[in-house]
Amino acid sequence: MIKFSNVSLVYPTSTQTILEGLSFSIEEGEMVLVIGSTGTGKSSLLRLINGLVPHHTGGILAGDVTVDGISTQLVRPGELAHLIGIVGQNPSSGFVTDTVEEELVFSMESLNVAPEAMRKRVEEILDLLALAPLRNRAISTLSGGEQQRLAIGSALVMHPKILVLDEPTSALDPIAAEEVLSIIHRLVHDLSLTVVIAEHRLERVIGFADRIIHIAGDGQAQIDLPEKILKSSDIAPPIVHLSRALKLDQVGLSVRDVRRMTEDVRRDGKDNPLVEKVLTSTAISVKGAAISYGAHTALKNVDALVMESEIVALMGRNGAGKSSLLQSIVGVKELDRGEISVFAHPPMSLKGALRRATVGYIPQEPSDLLYAQSVAQECAQADKDNEITSGATYSLLQDLVSSISPATHPRDLSEGQRLALALAVVLSAQPRALILDEPTRGLDYQSKSLLIEILKNFAAQPGKSVVIATHDVELVAELADRVIFLSEGEVVADGPTLDILLASPAFAPQVAKVMAPRRWLTVNDVMRSLDQETGVQ
Amino acid sequence: MKSLHPLTWWLWSIALIVTVIRANSALYAALVIVGAALIVWRWAGNFPWSKSFWFSLRLGIFILIVRAVTGVLIGVPIPGTKIVELPILPLPDWMAGIRIGGVITQERLISSLQEGLIIVSVIALFGAAVSLTSPHKMLRVLPVIVYEFGVAIVIATSSLPQLVASYSRIKRARVLRGDEKPKFKSIALPLLEEALAKSLDLAAAMDSRGYGVSRVRSRYRPIMWRTADTAVFSSGLFLLGLVWSVTA
Repeated sequence: MIKFSNVSLVYPTSTQTILEGLSFSIEEGEMVLVIGSTGTGKSSLLRLINGLVPHHTGGILAGDVTVDGISTQLVRPGELAHLIGIVGQNPSSGFVTDTVEEELVFSMESLNVAPEAMRKRVEEILDLLALAPLRNRAISTLSGGEQQRLAIGSALVMHPKILVLDEPTSALDPIAAEEVLSIIHRLVHDLSLTVVIAEHRLERVIGFADRIIHIAGDGQAQIDLPEKILKSSDIAPPIVHLSRALKLDQVGLSVRDVRRMTEDVRRDGKDNPLVEKVLTSTAISVKGAAISYGAHTALKNVDALVMESEIVALMGRNGAGKSSLLQSIVGVKELDRGEISVFAHPPMSLKGALRRATVGYIPQEPSDLLYAQSVAQECAQADKDNEITSGATYSLLQDLVSSISPATHPRDLSEGQRLALALAVVLSAQPRALILDEPTRGLDYQSKSLLIEILKNFAAQPGKSVVIATHDVELVAELADRVIFLSEGEVVADGPTLDILLASPAFAPQVAKVMAPRRWLTVNDVMRSLDQETGVQ
Repeated sequence: MKSLHPLTWWLWSIALIVTVIRANSALYAALVIVGAALIVWRWAGNFPWSKSFWFSLRLGIFILIVRAVTGVLIGVPIPGTKIVELPILPLPDWMAGIRIGGVITQERLISSLQEGLIIVSVIALFGAAVSLTSPHKMLRVLPVIVYEFGVAIVIATSSLPQLVASYSRIKRARVLRGDEKPKFKSIALPLLEEALAKSLDLAAAMDSRGYGVSRVRSRYRPIMWRTADTAVFSSGLFLLGLVWSVTA
């Protein structure tokens, strides 16, 4: 169906070869997963399939890509629209119309499909993707998961033979992600659709993949069965790390497989003793907080406490009020009712240096915080703002990520590096509380474990606390001491990470699913427990 | 008002722009601005592009002030009631005919304000049309022949309002860095970058979805020209006729 023959890709402005001498073919009805660290060219590979690279982006392409026998060099991407549906990383920036129905028909109108055929196909897609109740809604009012489903629907309505998805679940909560992925899985099986999908959070997709393309970053790429790739790859979901740590003969890819292989571990293991942090003084207190936007209530009567040296995760569905709560804690959104204090300061009153020293905030787009022309300038600005020795911020950055060259423009950094730079700038003021909004969006496993290490070190200092809003259960399992779960603007659960994550299967991390009923969340938990055993014997 | 044809408000504004220029009256221009403001306030709804009118109004007022100041200071004086007399700036001989400073008369000030107000109303009417029309719907009624042009319009009209939203987001982030009065440059750069990236995304999406491939487009639900459209448009035409006959 898709055939890459000796494909090499170079962008003229870059010295790095994105892909070199890549040859593979993907058969009809296959689901292929593309993995690789950020910035290695996953998106480029996906966009090569319908010719957006190089037709739209420029770049020098050698070799040939053919789709269903048509070479992408000879036709424009639009002329493959009936054959390939492509959904970008950020579906909301690809919507062309205002309402669900109009968006669904956009491609068909462009290709002059007869109105009767259009009607039929629209109804079909509305049913297939459960979009029927939304058909007349404005796109801007849809939730993230609904938007993602609509984007997939608008691609499928052309009856393409191939669906290409670039990180379809990165902005979604676990339940919405599950929903989207299971729909794709069904399409592969029912319609023999060929799917090529790039995703960082392998734990979400690994069970569905037939084969994996692993892009190494030096232009080389490998395509093989998931078991073979994951045996040695540095990028692997927690379940594979578990198999490796337990030295199982085989790499298990599904919870079911690994459960079968680890019966004895569960039987012999003991739950780890709880290590309670000694919490003395309150860092952040929220009392009766309420915010509404017009008719929509974002927060109603939220009470929460964050203690010093605690890491608290804020979880909940898209639109549950996480961002509103964070923004009122850092003092950019005023409460309608209630009060918040951050280290005894009302956050709305914080200004300048006092603000920087009290609360540091990393927004969803860390690049919002950055504006200088180079990493060096950015660090120098932070030094000046905080009146610390020049070079201090840069050396802090070096501690976080050593490989960043000071002359680089912040825009040219990878997602993980940019987050590290924003963190260095914020941390250089030595804030007492650090607030992060969805920091792991688009981060690969490597950057994520780095982030976990940074945050743990930060919270280990006396008198610091961290609040983090996230969908990423694996991150929460590794990092958080306590989880506050929001739903419809209300706190529905507040307790130790272990209790909250184990309470609902949708939010349980992979290791916990494998090891239930043992109360282990991460590979580390399991290994710690096993070490104890051997220690006693 | 959701069902209005995307061209209706544009035609209406164009008719009104003609009347404003034809009438050449500050009072009429002010009335038109107030009228447009009322219509936008009542019917523009809450879309990303709805705020364009208020932005255009601010832009217009900025132009008005700049024009009034330069118009009074530089150029030919109109004789009349003296308000204040500034010293005349000595200029080299080769700039003869240009004068900076001197007597500022009431007549001179009023005439620059009047001209300025007419310009403001023209800009405001454009802003009103943008505010009241969905750029996406607009694209659907444009013929495919204007493909490149249509893409440009959609990207421009949908990225401008996004700019406004991104601006407040970035400014907020900057305040959080303890920077209450961020420099213009420090906001403009990330803003521009983001706008560009978003526009490229949209263009790529349209391209890969087959926009402009077929010379003929089919219509799922044709956008109809209704009585309401005729009413709005004829109100514009009526004003046009009225002004024309009065000033003839």
